[in-house]
Amino acid sequence: MFEQWRTDEDMSHGFLVPFVILWVIWRERERWRALPAQPNWWGGALLALAAILHFAGALGVGLFAESLAFLISVAGAVLCLGGFSWLRALAFPFILALFMLPKLALVYNQATLPLQLLASRVAAGMLTVAGIGVIREGNILDVGGHRVAVVEACNGIRYLLSLGFMGVVFGYLFDSRSGMWAVRLTLLAAAIPIAIVANAARVAAAGWMPALDSGFPHELSGWFIFVLCLAVLLITRQLLNRMYVLNRS
Amino acid sequence: MKGRALNKLTAVLFWLTCSLSLKAQITLGSTVDTFGVLAGSTVTSSGPTAVLGNLGVSPGSAVTGFPPGQVIGTIHAADAFAGTAQTQLTTAYNAAAGAPSSATVSGDLGGLTFFPGVYTSSTSLAITGTVTLNALGNPNAQFIFQMGSTLTTAVGSTVVLTNGAQASNVFWQVGSSATLGTSSFFSGNILALVSISLGTGAALQGRALARNGAVTLLSNTINTPAGSGGPPPLATPAPSSLILVTTALLGIAIYQGRKRIFQSFRT
Repeated sequence: MFEQWRTDEDMSHGFLVPFVILWVIWRERERWRALPAQPNWWGGALLALAAILHFAGALGVGLFAESLAFLISVAGAVLCLGGFSWLRALAFPFILALFMLPKLALVYNQATLPLQLLASRVAAGMLTVAGIGVIREGNILDVGGHRVAVVEACNGIRYLLSLGFMGVVFGYLFDSRSGMWAVRLTLLAAAIPIAIVANAARVAAAGWMPALDSGFPHELSGWFIFVLCLAVLLITRQLLNRMYVLNRS
Repeated sequence: MKGRALNKLTAVLFWLTCSLSLKAQITLGSTVDTFGVLAGSTVTSSGPTAVLGNLGVSPGSAVTGFPPGQVIGTIHAADAFAGTAQTQLTTAYNAAAGAPSSATVSGDLGGLTFFPGVYTSSTSLAITGTVTLNALGNPNAQFIFQMGSTLTTAVGSTVVLTNGAQASNVFWQVGSSATLGTSSFFSGNILALVSISLGTGAALQGRALARNGAVTLLSNTINTPAGSGGPPPLATPAPSSLILVTTALLGIAIYQGRKRIFQSFRT
């Protein structure tokens, strides 16, 4: 996993996930310390399952299987030592840990091209609506002779994973009251269209302004648009929260 | 059941044959790439034609109808640039004509879907209705249509590009002349030995390139696609997810600790 975080810029946020998990565990320490330890033998079954998965991964099933095996083995160890109450208390860190896992190649390979084409289409649409002439050919945009390509690294997966992760963290921090699972899930779901539109806006900006198509200005514009995404996500959370409170009252 | 499996196997073998036979990629030269319209003798336009890209003629020199027609590019009439473009057009035409065929087609292509490959007709081809070119998700996939004589499209006919197909990678090598029907929509580079005529209101996403004869336009729109022989387009990768998530976490940390930060400033 470490190697993938190091080499794949879509997954480099993996370095931060363990720290966030540790922080959440530390924040919840009073809660899980109060829980009685009730060791459960089902933990052994989980450990065995993890061992099989790890073995399959080593035989060539893939890095994803091996990484999943690691998480399952940790869950098994928690179950063995503390039982289901401990596992329940640590459920949220396990959800966060899913964001450390390498991309599932089968899904990623199928999703990459459609995401590239979607980003190209939406970006071309944005430019057209703004009155800027653009010719789109597949994943290439031509804005008055200035050509930009929506390659694999531009497909929006980075925004999607980063915003999805932050959606989960926001949900945990700001909507931790019981019964707010719907709000959390909706927030996570909202991250998907926001990420897609934001990525298209980034591509459109690079097409429209040649100064933004490479180097530091390009990085900065991508970063700035992501900050706007976070703001939109927070506003969405605020709206969802209000709807939830209104429904309750 | 058995028949269906056989059909699938045949389709796979056909696609494989097409792929293998298209080993060499056809490219227009970097000069002819910039032209939306290029003729050997004359370019004649009537009505509000719009050409996005260069317009040229060589060895002839007559260009009429601009204005009222508009060229969003440069008109090259019998200059060296147009001459170079004609030379490159001849090379591309010969390369397209000489590409090894992967399938034979004939008559009307309307209603058919084509996958990347080289399709040959010893005589003429026609298009009525819609022809679909499906690149199977490969934006670099090429489609080459070779025909011995004419290409004629019907009124309102359409050439649709799907699944990553790009107009710059579609080549219609026409042995004599091409005629696009009124209000038709056509995609690809027309490489005609003699002449090209576009019917009233026809739109072309591609290039009309005639080696020896005229190009005749009637209130048309020609969108020249990004060239296949020019510099590659710039990739626009997003910042790494490490930078993005770090930013967001720092934002949360500041938000959560805002009271303490304000207090420390006050004291």
